[in-house]
Amino acid sequence: MEALDRVHVENFSFRYEDDWVFQNISFSLFKGEVVAVVGPSGSGKTTLSYCLTGIIPHRIRGERRGVVKLGENDISKVSFQEIVRRINIVMQNYEMQIFGLTVEEDIVFALENLGLDQHEIDARMNWILREFDLERYREYLVSSLSGGFRQRLSIASTIVLEPDFLVMDDPMANLDWRGILNLKKIILRLKSRGTGILLTSRRLKGLEDVIDKVIRLGKSHSEETIIRRDLGAMGNRSVQLTENDSKIISVRGVWFKYHEEDVLKDINLTVNRGEVLALMGANGSGKTTLAKHLNGLLKPTKGVVKVSGLDTRKYSVAELSKYVGYVFQNPDRHITKETVWEEAIFGCENHGLPLEKATEALKLLNLFDKKDRPPYKLSMGEKIRLSIASVLAMDPEVIILDEPTTGQDDITLRILGNIIIQLSNQGKTIILITHDTDFALQVSNRVVLINDGYIVVDGRPKEILTNNKMLHRYGIEPPTALVKQEVAREYGEI
Amino acid sequence: MEKYRVDPRTKIIFFIVIFTMIFISRDLVFITTLSILLLIIILLNKKTRREILPRLTKIIPLLVVAFILWSVLYRWSLFYSYGPVSGVMFDIGLFMTIRLFLILLTSLLFISVVSPRELVIALEGFRIPYKIVFTLGLTMRHMSTFAEEYMVIKEAQSSRGLELDKGFLIRRIRNYIPVIIPLLIRSIENAEKLSLAMDLKLFSFERRRYDRGRFGLLDITVIFVCIIALTISTLHYVFGLI
Repeated sequence: MEALDRVHVENFSFRYEDDWVFQNISFSLFKGEVVAVVGPSGSGKTTLSYCLTGIIPHRIRGERRGVVKLGENDISKVSFQEIVRRINIVMQNYEMQIFGLTVEEDIVFALENLGLDQHEIDARMNWILREFDLERYREYLVSSLSGGFRQRLSIASTIVLEPDFLVMDDPMANLDWRGILNLKKIILRLKSRGTGILLTSRRLKGLEDVIDKVIRLGKSHSEETIIRRDLGAMGNRSVQLTENDSKIISVRGVWFKYHEEDVLKDINLTVNRGEVLALMGANGSGKTTLAKHLNGLLKPTKGVVKVSGLDTRKYSVAELSKYVGYVFQNPDRHITKETVWEEAIFGCENHGLPLEKATEALKLLNLFDKKDRPPYKLSMGEKIRLSIASVLAMDPEVIILDEPTTGQDDITLRILGNIIIQLSNQGKTIILITHDTDFALQVSNRVVLINDGYIVVDGRPKEILTNNKMLHRYGIEPPTALVKQEVAREYGEI
Repeated sequence: MEKYRVDPRTKIIFFIVIFTMIFISRDLVFITTLSILLLIIILLNKKTRREILPRLTKIIPLLVVAFILWSVLYRWSLFYSYGPVSGVMFDIGLFMTIRLFLILLTSLLFISVVSPRELVIALEGFRIPYKIVFTLGLTMRHMSTFAEEYMVIKEAQSSRGLELDKGFLIRRIRNYIPVIIPLLIRSIENAEKLSLAMDLKLFSFERRRYDRGRFGLLDITVIFVCIIALTISTLHYVFGLI
C-alpha cells in the first residue's frame, strides 16, 4: 500500500436499521491535522469514528452510501488488518483496549502483535514511554493507575503501532481540567510528528488551540474553521435563594480512611434546605467520597454525618435513600427494568411509597409520554432524565447529582439546569458534583472546593469560579468568557 | 523489559515444593522447622514483613479453634472406629494446627511475592498452551473492572432503596436480580468491545512472544535445593526409606 496522506469522506451516509444516523458528510483528514467532530448525544459521533476506522463495515453492519477512502482506496475493500495499521482508534471505553497487567506489558502486547524482534521492541517501548511521560510508571499495575493515566496508556499502546491516523472517541469524557491539558500536550506531540487526528466530543473547551477543523453533527453537517469559546455557552439562569435556610446536612469532623490513606480530612460542612451546592475539585480530590457519605454509602472513619437529623452510621443506604437521592453517572450501568414507568417506580416499590410522585417526576422531566417504552430505546439525555425521575419519585429532600454533565449536549444541559433550579425553588437541596465550571456558575448558589481531602474553599460561585488564580491552584477548569460575562451582568457589574 | 532477580518459574517451583512437603510430612519437628524457616524468609524482606505479619494476628482465633477441635474430636469422632479410644490428643491438635498455620503462611507469602503478571509469565514458561495463559491474564486484568462495575451497580440500586441483605436465602437471591441483570448486560457489551479491541491491536494466537529471560545462578541454586528437599521428604514420608 502506498504512503497515505489523507482519509477522505465523500457524501457519506449511514444507518443501522431505521433512520439515517447522518447523511451526506464530506470532509478530509490530512496527516498532521486535528479534526474535531462535535454534536449532541445520538448525533452519530461514535458511528462516524467507526466508519473512519473500518469497524463499519468490517465488524459492524449497516447501510452505507457514499465512500470513505484511505488514501485512494475504498475502506470497505481494504482488509481490516491493513486499515488498523494505517488508522487506529482509542475507543470511548478505552479500558477494554488495555491488555497488560502492567504499563510495560500493555505496550509489549501491542509490539509483540507486530511480530517485531526483541531489540526493536525494546527501542520502541523506550521511545513511547518517554514520549508519553510514562517511564516512571513502567512497572505500575494498570489497576493502580488513575483514569487519566489509563487513557494515556491506551493512547500510547495504540500509537506504538505507528498508525498514520488516530481517532479518539470522546477522549475528554471523564477528564478533569488537568487531564484535558495533558491530553492537549499529547495531541500537540502527535500532531508535530505528523499523525492525523480526529477526535469526537460534546465540547472542545481546553483544546481549541490545537484543533484545525470542526465538523458539527446534528441538524446540519458543515465544515468550519476553528471555533473558539462558543461551545459552553448556555442560556441565562439564575437561582433564587430560598428564604427557608434551615440546616439539612451536617458533617462534623469527618475523616475517612481507604487503603490506609486519609481520603477525607477533617471535613466540616453544613448545607441548608434549598441550596444548590456545587462540589468541585480535581479527580481524586475526594468529592465523590464526601458525597457518598451523605447517603450512607460510606460511613466516616471518624466524625459524624447527619442528614435530616439522622446519623448515617445508624441507617442502611436503602433506609437513607428516602431522604437522600443519588443520581449516578452513566445510567446504562443501573437501568434494569423493561419500561420507563417500571424504572421510574423502582425506588417507590422498594420503599412501598405511593406512585403519584413517579408520575409527577416523569411529567416534570418530560418523559411521561414515553412511559411504556423500553429504556434502552431512549437517547442518553433521556436516560439521564429517567435516572433523575426514578430518584425524584421517592421524593427525597436532598438530591446528589454525580457528574450529570458528562457527555451531555447543550440542549440536555439546558433542561438539566432548569430542573435543578425548579427543584431548588421547591425547597429541595441539590448537591452537584461537577468539573463543568460554566454549569456550576449558572445553576449553583454555593461552591465547595475540595483538594487532597480537605475543604479548601467554601463560598459564592461568582467569587470562587471567576478567580483564575484559585482555579489554577486547585486544577479547576476556568469559565468561558461568555459565561463569565453573563455572571458579571447578573451581578450588575456590566 | 525488566529482568526479575528470581525467575517467576523458580518462584512457582518453590511454592509447589513447599506445599507438597506440607502435605506429605507427618512429624511435628519437621513442620515446625519449616514454619520457622518461612517466618525467617518473611522477616528478612520489608515488603513481606509489612504485608504478612499484620494478617497473621487475624488468624490466631482460627488456629485456637483448630487446636481445640483436632485435640478433642480426633479420637471421639463418629468416623473414628478403630484403635483404643484415648480421648483428648494434644499432639495431633498441635501438629494439625501448625500444619494449618503453615498452609496459611505459605499462601500469604505466595500472594505477596508472586504478582498476577509473574504467574502468567511462569505458566507461559512452563509451556502451558497460550490460549489458556492469555485468557487467565485477561481475566486477571479485567477482574478489577468487573469488580468496579459490580460495586457501582450495587451502590446505585441500594441508593434507590433496594435492601440487598434482608430476608432469608431465596429472598436475598431475588434481591440481587436488579444488580445482576445490568452487570450481565454490561459484561456482554464489554466482551464485544474486548473482541474488537483485540482486532484493533492486531492480535492473533499465533503471535510471536517476547523472550522473558533465562534461569540465572540464583534460580538454579533455589531449584536445586528444592529438588533435594523434596526428594528427601518423599523418600522419608512416602516410601519410609530414610
